[in-house]
Amino acid sequence: MSTDALAPPAATSSQAGSRTNDVRLTFPRVVKSEWIKFRTLRSTIWTLAITLALMVGVVALLSAIGASQSDGRETGNGSSIVVLTAATALAQLAVTILGVLVITGEYSTGMIRSTLAAVPRRLPALWAKGVVLAASIFVVSSVAVAVSLGIMQLLLGAKGQAPDLGDADTARVLVGVPLYLTGIALFAFAIGAVLRHSAGALATVIGLLLVIENLFLFPWKPFQLISPFLPGTAGSRIMTPQAQIDLMSQAARAQGSVGAVLSPWQGYGVLLAWVAVLLTVAAVLLRRRNA
Amino acid sequence: MIEANGLTMRYGKKTAVDDVTFTVHPGRVTGFLGPNGAGKSTTMRLIVGLDHPTRGTVTVNGRRYDQHRAPMQEVGSLLDAKAVHTGRSAYNHLLAMGATHGIGKTRVREVIEMTGLETVAKKRVGGFSLGMGQRLGIASALLGDPHTLILDEPVNGLDPEGVVWVRNLVRFFAGEGRTVFLSSHLMSEMALTADHIIVVGRGKVLADAPVAEIVARAAGTTVRVCSPQAARLVELLAGPGITVTSTTPQWLEVTGSTARKIGEVAAAAQLVLHELTPVNASLEEAYMALTQESVEYHSTSTGLKRLHPDDPTHPGAALALSGTEGQTR
Repeated sequence: MSTDALAPPAATSSQAGSRTNDVRLTFPRVVKSEWIKFRTLRSTIWTLAITLALMVGVVALLSAIGASQSDGRETGNGSSIVVLTAATALAQLAVTILGVLVITGEYSTGMIRSTLAAVPRRLPALWAKGVVLAASIFVVSSVAVAVSLGIMQLLLGAKGQAPDLGDADTARVLVGVPLYLTGIALFAFAIGAVLRHSAGALATVIGLLLVIENLFLFPWKPFQLISPFLPGTAGSRIMTPQAQIDLMSQAARAQGSVGAVLSPWQGYGVLLAWVAVLLTVAAVLLRRRNA
Repeated sequence: MIEANGLTMRYGKKTAVDDVTFTVHPGRVTGFLGPNGAGKSTTMRLIVGLDHPTRGTVTVNGRRYDQHRAPMQEVGSLLDAKAVHTGRSAYNHLLAMGATHGIGKTRVREVIEMTGLETVAKKRVGGFSLGMGQRLGIASALLGDPHTLILDEPVNGLDPEGVVWVRNLVRFFAGEGRTVFLSSHLMSEMALTADHIIVVGRGKVLADAPVAEIVARAAGTTVRVCSPQAARLVELLAGPGITVTSTTPQWLEVTGSTARKIGEVAAAAQLVLHELTPVNASLEEAYMALTQESVEYHSTSTGLKRLHPDDPTHPGAALALSGTEGQTR
């Protein structure tokens, strides 16, 4: 301690009188606290920056390739929006990592004990984290969509292949991208909250999204029944153009698939159901477990 | 005021806290003393709800910690200096902690200044020394200007100045009528800081009394006497509550009496005394006497090993005094 600190610690109470009135734990304050935590970690900022860069970068790359290969004779049918879907499939990895680390980082560093000592009812801290995560991802991915649109306009506009914003299906995809990324981030967050270990949770989520869900595309009847309801497969419908969905279901039917064909919003509902169930499990465990 | 009632905590088969009942009163510093693994940290974690008791209850000012409207204003706790995200700066950590209760920048700067963290406040906590981490933990505990202060091994890793500062701080808090509960495995530190001591061992309360009483109870007061007529003196001193031991013919160690009484007895019988010395048992000795049986672990290079309490030659008891408390579990 510095010599100053050796002075009688009268300062402990000098300010007390003026502050005591409104010192109180409230949910909005817990959200604010979580927001401070969120923005004051370099890893968070980096991951969000990477999400943005990844999406915009992939869109720019694919659009440039598209532009160079187009002879300009095909008139725009808006199908170029699928470029955004591809970029999102990649960006979801960054978002997944963020969703997991937001919670497991607290367990691995021991921060969770400070958090729960400050918010002893515990659940507000979990919900607040979820709110901050969802809002941040939604905003950042919306920005990414907007920038991507600008780039597509720039690269493909001249060839008449830029997405048609007036088209209802295109608009749904544009909204669907931030919604999907937010949903997947919350899914990863919930898994992180249940497992409490960064490596385990990351392996689970990424393994599920990239490996397991692809394995379930194997044309075997039990797989076909389950596959449409897996979180990534179901959720990604919201950001997939209808034309693409039709194409995929035609191919599936040609293979004799018996699986359900979910509409974009049904699919997204399934993802949200996964999130809701897992968050409930996480909440119950958080209340019960010793920190 | 902290009230624990029949508090019991089991982790699997291990009972960390075993039917513990005690009250920590406001207006004084209560020390929580015991060897490593005695259940001190677990008890403190139970108070702030980080662990859920297997049985029993513990309340702070009449309510469970999580039932308070402003928990941080009710209890400021330092349970683990490592309970901080290593990637965040001390300032931002405190800002986030305070934000939950609407405690703003002004107070954060205040506690940073109070704990002498100004120069490192903007640095990431990952690079902090044990002492700095400890100061940050104390800063965090002070944020809510709490009515009750619970500090687990607060002086761990602090420099001598810091130790004195913590001592002054907790004395000041108690002087203001607040409740202070601090744990240590260092009796000497407790003797300088606490008014009242709760001694635990193997999850049980071994003693709960004022500091002076603990010392007296555990060791009594011994008087060393040297007399060429020692045998005669032993006969005269004999009485209820008085024990006389002798190692060499002329030397006696008398417990249960005072130097003054022994001197008077000797004078009345015209016995020659060469020496008459009151020997106060040191606090360390008092503590050892109390916890001897309950030292649970001692460190070996291979890890933890159960100590046989009936083996007096075992070094475990001594190690408990000199080692640093393990905070991880």
